[in-house]
Amino acid sequence: MYRIRFHGRGGQGMKTASRILGTAFFLEGFEVQDAPRYGAERRGAPIFAYVRASKEAINERGIIKEPGLVIVADDTLVAMPAAGVLQGVTEDTVILIVSVIEAELWKDRLNFPGRVLTVIPPGEGQSHERAFTGGAIAGAAARLTGAVSKASLEEAIREELIPLGTKVVEENLEDALSVYEFMAEHEGCVAPGTAIAVEGFTPPNWVELPFEDARLSSPAIHAEATSEQIKTGLWRTVRPVIDYELCNRCSWLCSTFCPESAISVNEDGFPEIDYEHCKGCMICMTQCPPHAISGVLEREAKGGEDNET
Amino acid sequence: MSEETFKSVKDLPSTRLLCGGTPMCSGCGALEALHEIYDILGKKTVFVNAAGCMTLLSIYPFTPFRGSWLYTAMASAPAGAQGVRDALDILIEKKQMPPEDDLQVVVLTGDGAAYGMGLSSTSAAIDRELDFLYICYDNEGYGNTGQQFSAATPHAAKTATSKGPRGYPGYKKDLFSIWAAHKPPYVATVVGSEPLDLAKKIEKASELKGPRLIIAFSPCPTGWGFDPKLSVEIGKLAVKSGVWPLKEYIDGKVIHTKIPRKRVPVEEYLKVQGRFSHLFSPKRNEELISEIQARVDAYWKEVEG
Ligand SMILES: Cc1ncc(C[n+]2csc(CCOP(=O)(O)OP(=O)(O)O)c2C)c(N)n1
Ligand code: SF4
Ligand SMILES: [Mg+2]
Repeated sequence: MYRIRFHGRGGQGMKTASRILGTAFFLEGFEVQDAPRYGAERRGAPIFAYVRASKEAINERGIIKEPGLVIVADDTLVAMPAAGVLQGVTEDTVILIVSVIEAELWKDRLNFPGRVLTVIPPGEGQSHERAFTGGAIAGAAARLTGAVSKASLEEAIREELIPLGTKVVEENLEDALSVYEFMAEHEGCVAPGTAIAVEGFTPPNWVELPFEDARLSSPAIHAEATSEQIKTGLWRTVRPVIDYELCNRCSWLCSTFCPESAISVNEDGFPEIDYEHCKGCMICMTQCPPHAISGVLEREAKGGEDNET
Repeated sequence: MSEETFKSVKDLPSTRLLCGGTPMCSGCGALEALHEIYDILGKKTVFVNAAGCMTLLSIYPFTPFRGSWLYTAMASAPAGAQGVRDALDILIEKKQMPPEDDLQVVVLTGDGAAYGMGLSSTSAAIDRELDFLYICYDNEGYGNTGQQFSAATPHAAKTATSKGPRGYPGYKKDLFSIWAAHKPPYVATVVGSEPLDLAKKIEKASELKGPRLIIAFSPCPTGWGFDPKLSVEIGKLAVKSGVWPLKEYIDGKVIHTKIPRKRVPVEEYLKVQGRFSHLFSPKRNEELISEIQARVDAYWKEVEG
């Protein structure tokens, strides 16, 4: 059985990728499961999608804990514990990361014995407007399993995306086929995993909880502003940076507009951005009258920090 | 506080009471309006929140609020508010709580609840003259469940349940007038991209007693299909094009608080949103665009007399 796990951010097309890949497998005569999973978090937050494909009936359910292939559509997720990119990987797992950083370096950083591949996001160095489509990610997965023909991939893209219009279909086809070609030398490197048998199952360590009074057991929060502890700054792919030379100190604007309450005003009337919580929506950049706020790719901003320390 | 508190944008608070770390989408227009409102209402509030995106604000053990908050079923937030109001009144009456510790009861719901499922419980609460503030953040659809259309969805918008070439066949319900027809002390429309207008109205509402109701227009990058950075711009365009009239109902009269003298064509507002993209490509749908424009023009013709 092929077990493929996708990691991306809400809005990056992981759900679409899993649908396309699932349909393509189906067209090849496989039994298929495909499903996205997201928590309460939304656009920008880490999300997951799963595809299982097998020539036999699939009896497994739920999230994929032992993936044969892990695809990471956004390399800033790798360092993020909540994204769980490395969960359950073994030396037989193949990891594909959409990244400009070389595969060897990732292998080193992750101290991962198995195979790591990378694919460079499109338009890198030009603009960050057009993201990688779900089609591209599906195309990569299709080729790496070696079990999906180009024709099935194309048909699956058309079938899944036609309601979104021809432009979307064309963009996805273009991306998917170019990545499918790009991955040719690694065709079939993802081996189907063996079935998981009931005999091998060890039950988790259940903990018996005593029955508590409603006052204790109901989910009441007794402290204020605890969500401060959630670092939504990790959602960010682009970072707003203030040029204080240009700043007019009309900070009531950016500070009021920021949905995250992430821009405070200091004693001198200058705005200060709380990068631990800024999600990178870039509203402040578009609203700043003297254009004192610019967008820097998070990866580059982070790189700068690493060099400084 | 008095009406004079917010004379210019420079008077807007920068306290940022609602803290970060929430699961709302990047660029959420509803969260923007809510944090502006919260800065004015302050922490002596209890929010009664019907199921929708904003109920995900407080997920045990995390909350961005500094005061109280509780969660109700989708149709029943005003009923929940009644219970909370009664409990507070009883505590004060029995001298188990000093009157100065009293809290403002605030209902917070989406448009799905306000325009649809929860309308009858709201109507009943207004009839009972319940002392509460109702805030409806209007993202024009059932956002939390994937943007199905609601009674607040505008004509021709594409939603998860109106995907055809003409989008949503219905028309946005006029909730402002429905609420105002109950003759409560205060009804107003606001938008986070006009923070001064919003601050004045929330201040006014919080000084009155009885049912006070606010509709906060809330651009939703996820449900409407636009880049999060355009969230404020789209709110401003809604006002400048006349699509979202800023107004209030007070003392039996409707007053427009910001009349866009030179309205930009609605097209400017429509074309930046994915939910209206079928009006422009593959072929321009002149008929639908002019229909939307004509409805906006007719509205303002009546206002301007
Ligand atoms: C009676 C009932 N029906 C359906 C639901 C599922 N549900 C949860 S949130 C939601 C969407 C609510 O839409 P809206 O009030 O506009 O708030 P938004 O999600 O847009 O913030 C729905 C349908 C529910 N909680 N209760
Ligand atoms: S779906 Fe829309 S309203 Fe809901 S959290 Fe996201 S941006 Fe806000
Ligand atoms: Mg809604």
